[in-house]
Amino acid sequence: MPDSDSGKSSRREESSPDRGRRDFLLLIPLGIFAGVAATIATAAFRYLRPTLSSPSSQPKWSNVSPVSELKGEKPIMRSIVAEHQAGWASTMEEHFVYVLPNQNNKVLSSVCPHEGCNVAWRDDVNEFFCPCHDSYFAADGSRINGPSRRGLDPLPTREKDGVLQVQYQTFVNNTEERIARG
Amino acid sequence: MAEAEERYRYPWLHRWLSRWTTLTDIERSLIDDPESGLKAWARTTAGVVAMLLALQIVTGILLGFYYVPSTESAHTTVAYVEKVVPTGAWLRSLHHYGSQWLTLALVLHLAQMFWRASYRRRPVGWIGSVLLLLLVLAEGATGYSLPWDARAFFGTRVTEGIAGGLPLVGSWSRRWLLGGMEITPITLARFFALHTLVLPALIFMVTALRLFVFRERGLVSEAEERQLERWMHQQIARNAVVAGLVFIALSLYAARYYAPLGPAADTAAPGYLPRPGAQFLWLFQMLKYLPGRAASIVAVALPALIITGLAMLPFLNPPPLRRVMAHPRRNMGVVLFVLGFTLVTGMTIMAYVKDATDPLTRAQLSRQEAEEAAFRAAPFVPLRSRTSESVIDEETDGEETTESNNTATASPSPGASPPPEASVSPKPSTQVSATRPPAAYITHCSGCHGTRGQGASIYPRLIGVSSKPRRTVEDLINMMNDPASYGLDPLMPSFATKLSESEKREIAEWTAALKKRR
Repeated sequence: MPDSDSGKSSRREESSPDRGRRDFLLLIPLGIFAGVAATIATAAFRYLRPTLSSPSSQPKWSNVSPVSELKGEKPIMRSIVAEHQAGWASTMEEHFVYVLPNQNNKVLSSVCPHEGCNVAWRDDVNEFFCPCHDSYFAADGSRINGPSRRGLDPLPTREKDGVLQVQYQTFVNNTEERIARG
Repeated sequence: MAEAEERYRYPWLHRWLSRWTTLTDIERSLIDDPESGLKAWARTTAGVVAMLLALQIVTGILLGFYYVPSTESAHTTVAYVEKVVPTGAWLRSLHHYGSQWLTLALVLHLAQMFWRASYRRRPVGWIGSVLLLLLVLAEGATGYSLPWDARAFFGTRVTEGIAGGLPLVGSWSRRWLLGGMEITPITLARFFALHTLVLPALIFMVTALRLFVFRERGLVSEAEERQLERWMHQQIARNAVVAGLVFIALSLYAARYYAPLGPAADTAAPGYLPRPGAQFLWLFQMLKYLPGRAASIVAVALPALIITGLAMLPFLNPPPLRRVMAHPRRNMGVVLFVLGFTLVTGMTIMAYVKDATDPLTRAQLSRQEAEEAAFRAAPFVPLRSRTSESVIDEETDGEETTESNNTATASPSPGASPPPEASVSPKPSTQVSATRPPAAYITHCSGCHGTRGQGASIYPRLIGVSSKPRRTVEDLINMMNDPASYGLDPLMPSFATKLSESEKREIAEWTAALKKRR
């Protein structure tokens, strides 16, 4: 824009409005601001968008117990240590699982599918039961009654060198369908 | 009024803005002198400063979404932003180089105000800009420590050394800055709080005072200001154009050059040569020419003198540049300004020249560059830690040697203190497994607190619970009956009716007998 138009000379021109030019003057800063803001906003969206899976989502197997120890009719509680990688941290966490020796060593997560308390096995009634909100599950993990909307969650297993291993995962709580997290 | 409003395309918008906001008022107050040509374009440094300042705030907030200010996590989280998070490297580079560009923009802004002699008409605007420069420099100094790589660590060392060299208050200011006698996790937390809370608050305060509190008339009268909206709109457009161009340049620069990040501070090789950010190179270079104690004093005194001199300029009232020649004895402020400008520019250039020409320095610096490049190329390594003590207990059965192996896998923490109970009872005492838990415990409690009371994830361990004050057997029974009154709801349900009185007592007695190992 020519500089002679600006400054003191513009004072005299105030009485004869030039709307097109004035609009243009307003559009320049608005356009530039929008451009800068859009650039940063696009980057910020990609930067903040939550990742659905960890970058190295190789399935991790945790040892449960030697297969030879898994005998009997009752579910056996075992604690496992699983590695969780999320963001910049990789943590080792302890979890409880139930092994069902009479069901081909099926492994159930001890996390109640209702609100996530840990279920306990009750010898007297031969059922799993959640002490938080009184959900009951059968010996195979299927739902009997109580607020839980599905049965206990089974976990993928394999046998390696005589040791039962499990791929620990968690599921979205309080849904009928089983939706894996992570 | 109707006649005046005809000048606006959207009179209702103007009416609304002037009725409900101070925006039109602020706009008018910034007019000062309706210049044209080179002076009008020179004044766009204001827009550049505003843009870069806003950019620092936005990118700073974005970095805050991942950064964790602890000595264990700081470096890993910055590396995560650099290597894993999409656009993270670019945003961090914008923040890093943006702070240096902002310093430069503020210096140019002051030079421009000096040239137009606006500091004489509007001292508050001038002093506000000087304070902004001081605060931005402080942001640069504190921000340099946050990535916690070797560069950051040695940067902190130098800052600390300078603070310690202050006359009279030296040792005091060093201790307060570090939060102790050494660079510790407390130091990082302090620098973080200064960088993200204290200094930004002060910057907001200075900006708010400048725009909303103080009103300074320029060369035009209030009546004239109303007539100058057209000029003001042109000036805003000029500012936007220049600020937009600077943004594009900075974006491309940040896309081309990474913000520096080396390996973690504790892995730095001996002989590491730290280099400050570009805005401090002049000070760094000057420290080379001054011996020990004098260096520390000068390093503080000189910037303080320059900043104070600048802030005082409106009151020293030097004549405009063209009259300086005629009155050589009255030009204190001018001399200060020119001397300071020459010194800073000269020293900065010398710092670059020295690093580029000295063969030993050159070799070490290129070694460090190669190290940084190698670190950048290496895949991201997550921070490994164990969340619950119970995991260690479970696996090692309390063996001292295995325990130390396990903690060694976590990243080393220089400031972490050993658990307090270690000094009290160094020997393994009671065997927890000696007494079997009651059957009711297994059924109702072990799901969360573990089969041996060791706890799991968010559920607390019960071992050692009776060593807390007032945790008697009766108290534990109360806790089972009414967990809510202990703040344990909603995770712990009430067992008031689920357990018989004898079962509760049995569980409480067994729990109270659980002793810590080690």
